[in-house]
Amino acid sequence: MSKQSICERERNHLEKMNRFQLSNQFKKIGFIIAIGAFILMIGRKYIEDSEWIRPILHGMLLIGLLVISLSKEKIEDEFIDSLRAQSYRLAFIMAIVYSLGQPLINYGVATLLHQENELQGFSYFQVLFFMLIVQLMFFWQLKRMHK
Amino acid sequence: MKNTLKVQRAILNLTQDDLAKKIGVSRQTINSIEKNRYVPSTVLALKLSAVFSISVNDFFILEDTD
Repeated sequence: MSKQSICERERNHLEKMNRFQLSNQFKKIGFIIAIGAFILMIGRKYIEDSEWIRPILHGMLLIGLLVISLSKEKIEDEFIDSLRAQSYRLAFIMAIVYSLGQPLINYGVATLLHQENELQGFSYFQVLFFMLIVQLMFFWQLKRMHK
Repeated sequence: MKNTLKVQRAILNLTQDDLAKKIGVSRQTINSIEKNRYVPSTVLALKLSAVFSISVNDFFILEDTD
């Protein structure tokens, strides 16, 4: 196989991945999964010995938000595509700023309150949840701004 | 870049929604182009050109700042 055809296949593969989206009906399914997981997360607090279910619910919530994020709008055109790209860029930058800044803020507050302070990180769930929520919020806000 | 999309649309007596349906985009897209908030792709510009039956240069005008 020539170098050119390998590059061509690679490019086609990337383009296919880049264009991957779910149909509009999946948005409802995503909402049901995310809201269901959220309600169960609240309900879990009243049940004893339910720590094992926590990572499952976290996963469900993230999957639900991801499905919403990947679902097409009723009319998915190039303008909506550009708004989507803007929202992903903003969410990506904000998630990095958040993951860098949040531990420092926690450390600063703990120092000010003379508490035992230790520079702590946080879970992957917090960062991914923040990223997905910020992306969806920005996307909806951008769409509203252009109504 | 400014445009005269609104004028061209008025000449043909089309609403934003009508024009959007003709070229297969959302009404927001037409609204955003008219308000100079979004610069469409060449494909979309040519679709608009086909609806208005005039050249792209006749309704998209470059400004000094471009």
